[in-house]
Amino acid sequence: MKWTLAIAIFAATIVLVIISWFQSGALERRRISSADTPDEAVRLLLSRVKSHNWDAAYAQLANSSYVDKDNFIHTFSGDDGSLRTYASLENYDVWPLHSNGRVATVRTKLHYSTAVGPLDDVRDMQVEHEGDAWKVLWSTAALPKLAPQVIPVNYLRWDVINRGAADDWGVQNVDSPRVRIVSMNAVQRPDRIVIVGEIVNEDTVPAYVDVNATLLHADGTAITQENSFDKISHILLPKQVSPYRVDFPGYRLTQIKSVRMDAKSMLVPASADPVIEVTGQKLQKDALGKMVLSGNLVNESGAIVNIPHVLASYYDSNGKVIWVSDGYVDQALLPQTPVSFAVDLPDDIASQAHTYHVVVNSFVNQAS
Amino acid sequence: MKRSLHLLVSVAVLFVVSGYSVAQSSPSVEFNAANAGPRAVEDLTSESVPRDYAFAWQNLSQALYENRPGLLDAYFTGFAKSSLEQRIKQQAQSGLHVRYTDHGHKLNVLFYSPNGDLMQIEDDAQLEMQILDGGKVIQSQPLHVRYMVLMTPGADRWMVRDLESTPASRSGE
Amino acid sequence: MRTVITWLLCSLAAAMPAAAAELHAPKDIAAGTDFAITVNGDSHGTFYLIGPATAEKRSVENGSEISVPGTDTEKAGNYQAILCSDECVSAEFYVHAAEADRLSLLVHPSRVPVATTNAISAVAIALDRFHNIVFSHAQVDFSVNSSNGSSASHAQPTNRGIAWIRLTSAAKASSTKISAAVGETTETRVVEQVASEACNLHIKSYWEANHLVVQTDPVRDCSGNNVPDGTVVSFTKTDSSGKTTVDAPIKKGIAKAEMPVVGHARISVASGVVLGNELNVGGAR
Repeated sequence: MKWTLAIAIFAATIVLVIISWFQSGALERRRISSADTPDEAVRLLLSRVKSHNWDAAYAQLANSSYVDKDNFIHTFSGDDGSLRTYASLENYDVWPLHSNGRVATVRTKLHYSTAVGPLDDVRDMQVEHEGDAWKVLWSTAALPKLAPQVIPVNYLRWDVINRGAADDWGVQNVDSPRVRIVSMNAVQRPDRIVIVGEIVNEDTVPAYVDVNATLLHADGTAITQENSFDKISHILLPKQVSPYRVDFPGYRLTQIKSVRMDAKSMLVPASADPVIEVTGQKLQKDALGKMVLSGNLVNESGAIVNIPHVLASYYDSNGKVIWVSDGYVDQALLPQTPVSFAVDLPDDIASQAHTYHVVVNSFVNQAS
Repeated sequence: MKRSLHLLVSVAVLFVVSGYSVAQSSPSVEFNAANAGPRAVEDLTSESVPRDYAFAWQNLSQALYENRPGLLDAYFTGFAKSSLEQRIKQQAQSGLHVRYTDHGHKLNVLFYSPNGDLMQIEDDAQLEMQILDGGKVIQSQPLHVRYMVLMTPGADRWMVRDLESTPASRSGE
Repeated sequence: MRTVITWLLCSLAAAMPAAAAELHAPKDIAAGTDFAITVNGDSHGTFYLIGPATAEKRSVENGSEISVPGTDTEKAGNYQAILCSDECVSAEFYVHAAEADRLSLLVHPSRVPVATTNAISAVAIALDRFHNIVFSHAQVDFSVNSSNGSSASHAQPTNRGIAWIRLTSAAKASSTKISAAVGETTETRVVEQVASEACNLHIKSYWEANHLVVQTDPVRDCSGNNVPDGTVVSFTKTDSSGKTTVDAPIKKGIAKAEMPVVGHARISVASGVVLGNELNVGGAR
């Protein structure tokens, strides 16, 4: 009896160790450790990147002597306080594109989980056959370098002094900024209602804005309420326009009679800096055949923009906002250095879009 | 044993009921904004003002009976709050408390500022008041009081900024 | 016999209760003034004074008056005076506000676009020195003084303690002081009259080191007021390389952006919901 228990515990321990070994991908690693095929070579590289085994991943490169190791690591782990530094590689999809037996191209889709939600990155990797194994040929494209210089920043900055708690009731306080919703359009999607539109800061001071939408029954009672969350540029300078989008998952337009919109604004300190130029905007299909609005972001100020957030509004031929999409760029914007972006939109919306407008939110880590 | 348990339950029920008799449900409030000007009272405001005024009176009744000025924080501000706090402090020092039985209020909006940040209301209130010194009732009478009320919007509610009875009242406060 | 009758009469007198006291307060009591409550009858006992901001209890000795200091009746409203010995008697009285001596002045907004009808409102509440609303008629003198020297004034009587006016903002951007005065007291608030939407937004371009610089003329509203620095102006360029946009804040009255141009380009400008002119520009130099 006493031996039965001990044997049972020992057997359970062995089973659990075997299960964890399988789950850690060790079997997969053993299978692809020889990298007999181009996609196995890429999978091996990415599995080492995922487990942060940088030395082994770097050793997997065919041209490691030409590749700066720090640059290679920063490609996956991020730097300059970018969104990638708050992300981790969760999973990846790999599929071969073409191969001639010596050189091959493999497409990978990297799935990151970040502080602002999932992020996907699609890369094409060149792989070459060396000896008895395939190895990844890492891109050695030189990163643009910024020459040392002084960039004067003399854009306006606003500070706010509010009324104090000891001030008399009648003493004037600084008023909240005047903002106005200039357009609103309710769009039915397969699985949700989406409210899109634009909001403008009509005041002469910066505003922190937020948009709420409430779906109403015919008798005026509320069905549900949602917020724009991060699908809006929250800080609006004077006369600046931002798109907004409010999603109602699981609802249909036939269920509602009307929508009540509520724009809230608050006076906040702000700076007119940084100014970000959005160049080369184009509607096109990406490598996976999805419709995207792509372009480049150029930071015209002297400070690094750690996390840029792109918001795009699309208009039909009548100038009505028909869609709003957004995306975070996982690279920091160094001064004067273009960084590409792409935000996706549904194919049916793309066919109706006559023009578009891009707004860039920026998060600057003051400590960096 | 059974008798002791019955006694205990009776005492507990009495205790709870006496507590409830003071912490009443909020009083009935009728609201008339037909004469409001220069700004028309919005539909949502027509619902929130009487609701918040009812809560204010509910808290006021409890605060004056239990001598707890902290109960005024939720719905009173400015001059109204400071005056009532002073009264409650003096009540506590003197060993007095006041029990109001609230039979309802009829509100008539007299003024609603152009910016929507101030409302002057006439309140026709039906109350019963008992003044107690310790546990002894020294005064008990029905009241029909006309108040002039100033209400101002707070973060998420309307608050009573001034509460002043007028000579049109038939009895004292 | 006489002794028995005397004894009976004395017993009867002793058995009869003493006549109940009566309290009488003055009819016209202003907040904060000392006054006395007259007592008819036995004034010995405990005196209570219950009011909007008062709950007083004290012992009183025999006398024809109970004095009430002004500090006990600073808050206007209805009061109960109660005297208890064997039984309690009470009197009610009303304390009205003193003379108007203070103002609460609410002026909105703190910033307003120029030349906007009835854009500014001023609401004055007449109070006495104890912060009681003065319901009796008082005259409030409103005055407006602009930083460019112009001024105006208007007297408005209070209605249930409140007086209010509406003002149209001036055509020129400036700081304006709005004052309300009652008695010796004046309250002042400042309203910034700011430029409204940009008017006749116009851009021009020139080449600088192979880059096209697009610049606005001084951005002004329709009244000629300079639109404040920091206001965002959106430049949009469309050429063969795609679309380029820059949201540039105005600095020293103008907004500027530098854009690379490939081939023929069309450039437009907007500020808020106001559109400006368009430029058609040739290829790079």
